[in-house]
Amino acid sequence: MGEFIDFIGRNLADFWTYTGFANATVGHLIMILVGLVFIYLAVAHEFEPMLLIPIGFGMLIGNIPFNMEAGLKVGIYEEGSVLNILYQGVTSGWYPPLIFLGIGAMTDFSALISNPKLMLVGAAAQFGIFGAYMIALALGFDPMQAGAIGIIGGADGPTAIFLSSKLAPNLMGAIAVSAYSYMALVPVIQPPIMRLLTTKKERVMRMPAPRVVSHTEKVMFPIIGLLLTCFLVPSGLPLLGMLFFGNLLKESGVTRRLAETARGPLIDTITILLGLTVGASTQASEFLTFDSVLIFGLGALSFIIATTSGVLFVKIFNLILPKEKKINPLIGNAGVSAVPDAARISQTVGLEYDPTNYLLMHAMGPNVAGVIGSAVAAGILLGFLM
Amino acid sequence: MNKTKIGLLLSLALMLGLTSCGEQKSNTKLILNEVLIENGSNFQDDYGVHSAWIEVFNKSYTSADLAGYQLRMSNQQGDTVTYSIPKGDVLTLVKPRQHALFWADGQPNRGTFHTNFIMNGSTDTWVGLYDSGKKLIDQIVISANTLQANQSYARISDASEEWEVKGAEESKYVTPSTNNKTLSGNAKMEKFQSHDSAGVGMSITAMGVVFFGLLVLYISFRFIGKASVAMSRRRAMKSKDITCKEEAKEKKLGEAPGEVFAAIAMAMHESQNMHDVEDTVLTITRVKRSYSPWSSKIYTLRETPKK
Repeated sequence: MGEFIDFIGRNLADFWTYTGFANATVGHLIMILVGLVFIYLAVAHEFEPMLLIPIGFGMLIGNIPFNMEAGLKVGIYEEGSVLNILYQGVTSGWYPPLIFLGIGAMTDFSALISNPKLMLVGAAAQFGIFGAYMIALALGFDPMQAGAIGIIGGADGPTAIFLSSKLAPNLMGAIAVSAYSYMALVPVIQPPIMRLLTTKKERVMRMPAPRVVSHTEKVMFPIIGLLLTCFLVPSGLPLLGMLFFGNLLKESGVTRRLAETARGPLIDTITILLGLTVGASTQASEFLTFDSVLIFGLGALSFIIATTSGVLFVKIFNLILPKEKKINPLIGNAGVSAVPDAARISQTVGLEYDPTNYLLMHAMGPNVAGVIGSAVAAGILLGFLM
Repeated sequence: MNKTKIGLLLSLALMLGLTSCGEQKSNTKLILNEVLIENGSNFQDDYGVHSAWIEVFNKSYTSADLAGYQLRMSNQQGDTVTYSIPKGDVLTLVKPRQHALFWADGQPNRGTFHTNFIMNGSTDTWVGLYDSGKKLIDQIVISANTLQANQSYARISDASEEWEVKGAEESKYVTPSTNNKTLSGNAKMEKFQSHDSAGVGMSITAMGVVFFGLLVLYISFRFIGKASVAMSRRRAMKSKDITCKEEAKEKKLGEAPGEVFAAIAMAMHESQNMHDVEDTVLTITRVKRSYSPWSSKIYTLRETPKK
């Protein structure tokens, strides 16, 4: 009997070594706490809930401690585990182009087509990428890592994941979480910069209503957009190709079901898988490093530089524009490609100063141009550094 | 334009495209990459024997299968020996940018990678690689006595056009089953590290390209937009019987902003109780009977019921 009790005792002791309680470290607890904060921000403040809920819960999943030497194949970094298989879409970089397909199928480029000069605002905001790139180099990251970190400034999660999976796979978790976190925090980061850089007179500036864009123009945009941008930067093809393809599905008017699938079930499925696995990739043992802290700092800086350069560019651009065609500098922030959050912020801040001045449609122009601009920038970095 | 004409036009375009492709370099994935004829103390095969070898390189970024290919060798005219690479061996699948090494030991019974011929360095040696359709895809001639023992004749780097003797100097070493020029790091990255350590050059270049790309797009759509407005103005002039362009421009015909259309739609909605003439019009449309799951009603009627 004593021997049997001894056996049970040994079994329980053995079982204890497999539990999360026995394997927990301070790092795990910190990351679980971060995950809970993400979920709180999403639920209580509705900060990008579609992203923060999957990422936050993914952080909980990825940081449940377990005995890594037991070969249980449950961790995201253990080859053959379910999470690892789902994570392949991130590491091989095929989730981001599918997200871009959905974005293309849900984006209306009319605002940009009706006022194409707003494309230049979208280009100017990409300074955030290269500002962060230079600072990252100064902090000691190598050019490939710096390029992957810089892309956070494009404010485009899928692009950040795509590029970091190619240039710096070891930093991808931190870069992805940083990019998505700051995209969620755009309503906190951008308004003070916009207020700081604009005068009251500029904030109430009215822009002429955008003209109606014909169906032909809308169909031509993805085709010409693809040909021009990808002939220039072929390395941006996975992202730009899918973006413009999705948009053609939407605008052609004859592939309604395909467009609905791309912007509905497909993008939702990929968003769930992408968010969850990116969150789970923040396993404390891999994620809690000094580099991650630096990446978070650089991410914040890149968003600040991008917003600043967008707003300042509009102010400078206004110097050469005729009076009736001047642009409200409050839409400069929308050049970062956090669609449509950055454009919504232009609208919100604009309404604070003139409740009848609706900037949303105008801001959507640089906002979608930012998507194209950041994908082009990612293609350039990939072409130069790979 | 009828369908026949469109078909002819497309065929012509396709033919032109194919013709222009033909002018480009061969896009063969597998090529001869390095040959060693006299193996004294160089690489050993899996039997521990020093034999001559031929290296094939997959220069593409997809896997390529050598099964069914042929290696042919000749030391004198009219004396060509052919070795057909057997099918059914998974090892003949060469991974992207990887190599396959064939031992020219005259012992094909030792495995897929042992040929039925041997090579002799004292006369000119011709080696050819043929695809499974018996089409020559690559060949190399090594003149007699070009190579000493343990020296190979190889492309300077993998898949490059020029060949050189390797093994004669310390800097040019024989590289069986590996890159002809050893990769010691990321050349591009090192270039940036040494010439642009602050990242200013990269930033200027990349921002220049981003601006240029979007500027070209801007210019294109500026013209397309103008053409579109001109077309809609012409349509509006026609419908209103206006012939004077100045008058049309003054009245801003064809340039009505979206707000105007929204206001018209709202006014119609309010004054006509949501419906216009359609209540009194019966529309008869021809129904196509050709069935396809892609156009089937049962698959497309997926609208959520309205409350």
